[in-house]
Amino acid sequence: MTYRLTDDHEELRAVVRELAEERIAPRAAEIDETAEFPWDLKELLAKQDLLGTCFEERHGGTALDGIGQAIVVEEIARADATTSLIPIVQKLGALPIVLAGSDEQKDRYFPRLASGEWLIAFALTEAAAGSDVAANRMRARLDGDGYVLNGSKRFITHGSVANVLTVFALTDPEAGGRKGMSAFIVETDTPGFAAPRVEHKMGIRGSPTAELTFDDVRVPIENRIGAEGDGFKIAMNTLDRSRLGIASQAVGIAQGALDEAVRYAGDRQQFGQRIADLQGIQFLLADMASQTEAARQLTYAAAAQVDAVASDLPYWTSSAKLIAGDTAMRVTTDAVQVLGGYGYINEYPVERMMRDAKITQLYEGTQQIQRLVIARQLLQRAGVGARPRDRRETGA
Amino acid sequence: MSNDIFFLAEFADGKPARSALELAAGAADLASQSGGAAVALAYGDGAADGAAALGAAGAARAVVLGSDPAPAVTFAAAAAAAVQAAEPLALLAPATPNGRDLASALVGLLDLPGFGPVRAVGVEGGTLRTEQATLQGTVITVSEPADDAPRPAVVLVLANTFTPREGGSGTAEVSQASAGDAGAFGKARIAESHPADAAVVNLEEATVIVAGGRGVGSEEGFKPLHELAAALGGAVGASRAAADAGWIPYQLQIGQTGKVVKPALYIGLGISGAIQHRVGMQTAENVVAVNKDPDAPIGEFADLFVVGDLFEIVPRLTEEIKRRKG
Amino acid sequence: MKIVVCIKQVPATTAEKRYTADLRLDRASAESVINPLDEYAIEQALRLAESGAVESVAYLSMGPESAAEALRRALAMGGDEAYLVTDDALAGADEWATATVLAAALDKLAPDVALMGMASDDARGSLVPGAVAAKRGLPLLSYGAELTLADGSARIRRLSATGYDVIEAPLPVVATVTDQVGEPRYASLKGIMAAKRKPLETWSLVDLGVDPGTLRGGALTRVVEARPPEAKPPTERVENVSADEAAAKIADWLAARKLI
Repeated sequence: MTYRLTDDHEELRAVVRELAEERIAPRAAEIDETAEFPWDLKELLAKQDLLGTCFEERHGGTALDGIGQAIVVEEIARADATTSLIPIVQKLGALPIVLAGSDEQKDRYFPRLASGEWLIAFALTEAAAGSDVAANRMRARLDGDGYVLNGSKRFITHGSVANVLTVFALTDPEAGGRKGMSAFIVETDTPGFAAPRVEHKMGIRGSPTAELTFDDVRVPIENRIGAEGDGFKIAMNTLDRSRLGIASQAVGIAQGALDEAVRYAGDRQQFGQRIADLQGIQFLLADMASQTEAARQLTYAAAAQVDAVASDLPYWTSSAKLIAGDTAMRVTTDAVQVLGGYGYINEYPVERMMRDAKITQLYEGTQQIQRLVIARQLLQRAGVGARPRDRRETGA
Repeated sequence: MSNDIFFLAEFADGKPARSALELAAGAADLASQSGGAAVALAYGDGAADGAAALGAAGAARAVVLGSDPAPAVTFAAAAAAAVQAAEPLALLAPATPNGRDLASALVGLLDLPGFGPVRAVGVEGGTLRTEQATLQGTVITVSEPADDAPRPAVVLVLANTFTPREGGSGTAEVSQASAGDAGAFGKARIAESHPADAAVVNLEEATVIVAGGRGVGSEEGFKPLHELAAALGGAVGASRAAADAGWIPYQLQIGQTGKVVKPALYIGLGISGAIQHRVGMQTAENVVAVNKDPDAPIGEFADLFVVGDLFEIVPRLTEEIKRRKG
Repeated sequence: MKIVVCIKQVPATTAEKRYTADLRLDRASAESVINPLDEYAIEQALRLAESGAVESVAYLSMGPESAAEALRRALAMGGDEAYLVTDDALAGADEWATATVLAAALDKLAPDVALMGMASDDARGSLVPGAVAAKRGLPLLSYGAELTLADGSARIRRLSATGYDVIEAPLPVVATVTDQVGEPRYASLKGIMAAKRKPLETWSLVDLGVDPGTLRGGALTRVVEARPPEAKPPTERVENVSADEAAAKIADWLAARKLI
């Protein structure tokens, strides 16, 4: 499997970078400070067709390849991690329908999602079911021509601003989360649905992370995605692909911090010279740059594997997310180091980037879960297999 | 063919514009180098009556192109006829919208070499040489007409490149341009004219400019700037950010897409000094800037850069100037 | 109704610029963009198209082959087709030669409005629009804060020294607009993808019926020297003083230069 960046990719990067530098970066500090969802930037991204990159042209999307989608997220995240979540979650929420939905469901929802008129969110995690997805408790009971949903979800990115959700709930509690879970499309204006609370977070503060409650929420039977009992598989297949979005976000955050650090080092005078001329700073910058580049290239390689529907694509996407998330954390921390005291105050953006970076080690599977996925694929490939007790499944 | 130096002399409100007086002085200087005469091509409101008085400003002769209220470019055909008859060494035009229109029309009508906007022009060994800041002022180029290029060389001249003569006397010999067909350029007409807001001055004529930018914050915020300008006997200008925000009329915008000014003193307040603003004021003789941001680009090219709050400093400066002026 | 927007590819404002040994701008050395002032003309044309006043928007540029990138960028913002005039005989063309060639191309395209930016960002020249109008025998409407089209006429709102005028001329015209027409749009992703499929035709001087001999080597002017600007005297900085001290310092500075 080889991949190559084309002129089209480079042009895409230039276009998104210009937009991000001129319109998104100037808003980043305010978004962080006020912790308000940037509706203006959602409209901007919609207008520029940047929320439809994963949808087919017949649904109004632009059907970019995986590397193209990665570049879009990366360049937005370089300016502001919160805003980069808008295209990331638009894909995450839609992936269950992409992978297992009916043509009718796609025709009904994708045009509004591709245009950015509607936002979607992915509602899997519960208070007591984080990494342990199979521990989900939310119920969906068949009742006549529909299902009745009861329960709650937590840590749902965009849960309070989305118009529609893909929700995972048990249709067969006896069978448990692995076999008895199903996926549903729920429009958020359905009676009984509420988003009573959003979290106060360390980073990505403009992106609302919501608690969702479902109190006898009635969903028509045609809103079930795939067959009853397919929910767990759909969720895992979704996360195997969507975590590339987080890898791309992490690369973008790292690049943004690196660029800030380089600019600062070129300006800042200490001991009668630019600090960029100090070897100690040069070594830091060199590590930051090479690690960021390694994370980026692994992310692109993984994107190509996903496009090719490689049989071991979880290995690639988990590796990319693991490396990129850790890189973002390290590079942003080092950027604060390069800026010294200035890096620690909000006069410069690197402290925000450092807080934003942390989430990339946590969501869509913690770094520890990524390692489990990688190890399982690795051992399978070697014909060794994984011991049953390590076969915990992975979730958001 | 002659060694005369022609210049465009725009009139408005019954009197010559400052650009006409500057170019008259410049044309007279160049004519003394080339061994010709300075000749005005006068147009606009008051041109017919005021052309003779350009003699005091340096013109030996003046050709009146027209005095009717019309877009300046309407006089292109008359200017072309006058120029064609004399084939002077150069034609100086002010680097204003009207000057550029007429100059560019002449370049096209008569296939002439065009220069500018230039910051210096001279005659060396009978050849015209111009000096121009290009690429946002990063390169200075010196240019001249190609061998055997038709005459005249059309030169756009930045404001304040030449200094008007003071206390001159004399009368220019006035003639009337032949009343030919204005051609296609005559088809443009002024459909509506909205005269000046009394508060708006012509910035290109000001020798002291107090300019405000984004840091001024509001229309109200310009009040101390007006007071400072009044104390200095100057005018208030602005960056594009302030004009876009509606704090000040666009006619007072300085920069690439606004006025290009060259005052004796420019004071920039709350102006960062982006390149687009800089190209409109970088030839000011003295540049003072006050900005809260110690890293503002204007700090790189101002002569005096004060880091501080303009709302604290400006009222005190105004009082200090009033006190010293007694 | 058809508009042709004339655009120029220029080095980015932030780019490093160099002159070659023969005193031409080394365009290969710099990142290139659409002349920012031309983007306002593009925006004006596209707004007229959106309002239904104009059926077709085309772009015309004269420059090296790489100027096709600028035309693609313009097509990504909107519009229908683009034309690039490129010819070895045009390297180093001055404003007169540029106007001569653009006029010949516009004769072929015969638009109702040939629209341009108010000046070029690199040299701040602005002699092309009027020269094109002169060569085509058309009225010139310049420095419009807004361009409108109605009843066979074009109108612009143009700032005067202290107020503004509305100037009108019968079509066809050559017009220029300023940055007051409104912020140029960003190219959307679909716009970028669609632009790749829009026609972009390349013309040589022969295609335009222009005899290169009449262009006098591309210029009636020549650059004899290019040098860096004079070093400015260092800035005098005043920091960390009270407002009273700062005001007194400025007053002293002005007095020392006899400015008060």
